[in-house]
Amino acid sequence: MMSEELQDSAALYVLGSLDAAEAAAFESSLKGDAELRALVVELREAAGAIALTAPEHIPSASLKQKVLRDIAAEKSGDLTNATEGRRSLSTAWPWAIAAMFLLFSGFLVYDRAQLRREIAQVRDRDSLMQANLVALAPANGAPAAAKATVAWEADRQTGVIRITGLPAAGTGKDYQLWAVDADHKDPVSAGLVHIDANGVAQVRFKPIAEARHVKAFAISLEREGGVPKAEGPILLVGSTTG
Amino acid sequence: MGGADEGMQDHTAQQKADAQLMTRIAQGDQMAFSALYDRLSGPLYSLSLKMLGNAAEAEDALQEVCLQIWRRAPTYDSGQSSVFSWAVLLTRGKVIDRLRARGRRSRVVASSIEDEGNLIDPADASTSETAADNVNRNEEAARVRTVLGGLPLDQRQAIEMAFFSELTHQEIATQLNQPLGTVKARIRRGMLRLRDGLRRSP
Repeated sequence: MMSEELQDSAALYVLGSLDAAEAAAFESSLKGDAELRALVVELREAAGAIALTAPEHIPSASLKQKVLRDIAAEKSGDLTNATEGRRSLSTAWPWAIAAMFLLFSGFLVYDRAQLRREIAQVRDRDSLMQANLVALAPANGAPAAAKATVAWEADRQTGVIRITGLPAAGTGKDYQLWAVDADHKDPVSAGLVHIDANGVAQVRFKPIAEARHVKAFAISLEREGGVPKAEGPILLVGSTTG
Repeated sequence: MGGADEGMQDHTAQQKADAQLMTRIAQGDQMAFSALYDRLSGPLYSLSLKMLGNAAEAEDALQEVCLQIWRRAPTYDSGQSSVFSWAVLLTRGKVIDRLRARGRRSRVVASSIEDEGNLIDPADASTSETAADNVNRNEEAARVRTVLGGLPLDQRQAIEMAFFSELTHQEIATQLNQPLGTVKARIRRGMLRLRDGLRRSP
């Protein structure tokens, strides 16, 4: 018999009412529970049906044309229009103007490179200003004193995590860091984290796939050497939106 | 009993037809996308409009959702949800992104609580702007309204707030001035009853 607490979470999950950290923890529970997955499928259908109670309206006829244009452009890679545009430009304009344009473009390229160098220097001087700080709290029976802080730089796709109060992972086990990203179906691995004898770890990490819209970070206990998809219990979790 | 069975069979047949369209869309079939657009654009636009309260924004959101459907078609899993529910939840997510980005609270939070009649009376569908030929959709909408209208008010209120706004359960509890546990229980009981009611009703 499924607990009411899990049913609560399932209902809130399908309605999108859990915050990112709660949703990540619930998704972890889903993996090992077929009954819970079946309930989520049923509740998802019920949630979808609620949309039908909105007063009915019809979008403008022009929207369909726009959408079909989008789809066609997406399918063709939107190359045709751009190519044609460039061709007509080159035949219509005098060569002198084209030459001036090239000179000006060269200047812009140089200027942009200089600007990039300056931005990089500023970032190196104060990288913390670019970072999003995320606090991770214990879950699933992790020691109450366990906690972690992630400093995440989305632009650079890198971060630092500091963990305290977590015991060593134990024989045949490793702690693994995950980024829960809106663009990925499954959490993205950000590597293993080894705790020292004092229960502390501080490591720089980089997710194995690009994670531009990270909703949460989580630490799980996995098989030694890590796993491609999270299997073990989530022990620390925190939402990037606080 | 026969009516209930027929209704359920129509529903299932429609779900299968939608899933077949998705298979073709995943293979890059634009005609299939056009057919799916005709099927879903009304309900998805209505949902966007109810949540955003602005026709131009609702169309922009739907345009983005359509592109998302096209791109994600290869990952659609019919074992996880019907195409309709999948598209509804994609739309809801996109609209919530917009609401949060603009720092606005959905205007429907208050109005959906006050406006009970909209959900209780299935005959309301006759006053809507639905396309006349969309009989199946109207019947389905009336069925959902009836089941949802049959829920206790507190459960319906909580579900509507959760579904039609970007509020988290903590924020819903604050809005309703109720303990968090009470709100969670209302949503759970309401959703389970809604599921059961939709299974049973013709």
